[in-house]
Amino acid sequence: MSWFAKYFPNAVTMKSDFIQATGETLYMTLITAVVAGILGMIIGVGLIVTQPGGILENRVIYNIFDKIVNLCRSIPFVILLAVIAPLTRVIVGTAIGTTAAIVPLVIGSAPFYARQIQNALAEVDHGVIEAAESVGSGPMGIIFRVYLKEGLADIIRSSVLTLISLIDLTAMAGAIGGGGLGNLAINVGYSRFETDVTVLAMLIILVIVFAIQLVGDLLARRVDHTA
Amino acid sequence: MTNEAIIELKNIDVTFHNKGQTVNAVKDVSLTVNRGDIYGVVGYSGAGKSTLVRVINRLQPPTAGTVVVNGQDILHLTPRKLRAARTKIGMIFQHFNLMDSRTIADNVGYPLRFRLSKKNRQEKVAHLLELVGLSEKANDYPAQLSGGQKQRVAIARALANDPEILISDEATSALDPKTTSSILELLKRLNRELGLTVVLITHEMEAVKEICNKVAVMESGEIIERGDLVSIFSRPQKPLTRDFINTATQINQALEKIYKQASALNLNDHQQLVQLQYVGASTDAPLITELYKRYDVVSNILYGNVEILQDTPLGNLIVVMSGEPDKLQDAWQYCQDAGIKITHLKPTDSEVA
Repeated sequence: MSWFAKYFPNAVTMKSDFIQATGETLYMTLITAVVAGILGMIIGVGLIVTQPGGILENRVIYNIFDKIVNLCRSIPFVILLAVIAPLTRVIVGTAIGTTAAIVPLVIGSAPFYARQIQNALAEVDHGVIEAAESVGSGPMGIIFRVYLKEGLADIIRSSVLTLISLIDLTAMAGAIGGGGLGNLAINVGYSRFETDVTVLAMLIILVIVFAIQLVGDLLARRVDHTA
Repeated sequence: MTNEAIIELKNIDVTFHNKGQTVNAVKDVSLTVNRGDIYGVVGYSGAGKSTLVRVINRLQPPTAGTVVVNGQDILHLTPRKLRAARTKIGMIFQHFNLMDSRTIADNVGYPLRFRLSKKNRQEKVAHLLELVGLSEKANDYPAQLSGGQKQRVAIARALANDPEILISDEATSALDPKTTSSILELLKRLNRELGLTVVLITHEMEAVKEICNKVAVMESGEIIERGDLVSIFSRPQKPLTRDFINTATQINQALEKIYKQASALNLNDHQQLVQLQYVGASTDAPLITELYKRYDVVSNILYGNVEILQDTPLGNLIVVMSGEPDKLQDAWQYCQDAGIKITHLKPTDSEVA
């Protein structure tokens, strides 16, 4: 490990900090992915089925979902972190710390995921929906057995994209004491001029991102039978 | 082919509003299909035929009118009852509409989930695939199949619920002629063996000619002519119907060629270009010989075509008749008395009867 000590003189002494920061990043990513995943999926499916011409067309619900998604996506994440602090306090009891960061992360990524899901499901051929209707499928059957099944490969690809942008967002969590690799890179590496710490934090994030991309691509290819 | 109505559409109107524009896709159309019919609905695209048949299973709710299928008023059913009613109305589409993410067996078994146990479902799917001749493709995905095979899968899926009616919405329009024939043959077999009532929408009169017993012609949202196949083919009333039929019998193409060579024919006073049309028994008489024997009229056949529609022969001949003018008159009278329709053609006419 001598080459490591040579190129990363500061980082090599901070093993436990890196382990903790990586843990925090993965923790924030994972919990947010589950919560925002469920929320985004519900909103995305809601948008698809209530849109004009959808199987449960409903202008009011569609417009409410649509406006919420647009509004949340318009707020810069760093500002969102601060703005929703009171809400965060109500939900998790505190406005600072890793768990507290999850609330703005969910609000920041769920609308993004909802749009991705909407786009993925919009690719499902309307004729296939019609065929399912013609054999007597109801709205639930069409959502679960046609939309989510036929759109699965695209859903996986969208999920990968959302996960990667989520990791991007967790890097900002340091602003409210959320910790994580981003925090380590900026508040330690950058502030103390310990460039090797910044670079190592970045490399770890890259590894995580590549791993997600790889697994996602493999899964998407496995469920995709279009060609 | 009983006279029991299975589909009754009455005074159907379908109006679309799009960006301030109103489109009357279907205008006051009534249509009755009897059990066991293969009913063809022909028309050019945009005539409203797809919209009309989508009203049958309420994929397209009509603006006005009543729809009764199998004695059930389709327009006043609860969503649950409508879904149950739809299981008895199978439908196939121009672009097959199979699910790419499911195997052939899963596509066919899709309607049966929650209705049959796994074992019964597998048996039923195997039986359906055998019926359409695709047993060995059960575990393939749609992307691996040809167009004709995909349509067979779609037919098997449409039959999974044991429907009494099958709606075919331009189902052969994306297929080559040979595959089209085999799909039509399959539909005819299902009609015969399962007593399936078929409503066939198409823009190709050839398809209608091959399997339908009744036909309706649609133009700009209205049915302009309808009847049983043989009478529509032998006595079309409307120009559009004639146009469809002439295309199907290829007589248009034949005439075009004949007219191009008309000058080469050098017709004089003693010669006439005529089209002879005959239906059924009158085809049996040796007409050409008879004309020569009785009136010294020589007929030179330029084009001939016999269609067998619903076991009734329907013939078309284009001939140049040569003889003395008064003998020619007598010959034509003889033809008319024998039930043969005569049309005198002039090479300058672009229209044919």
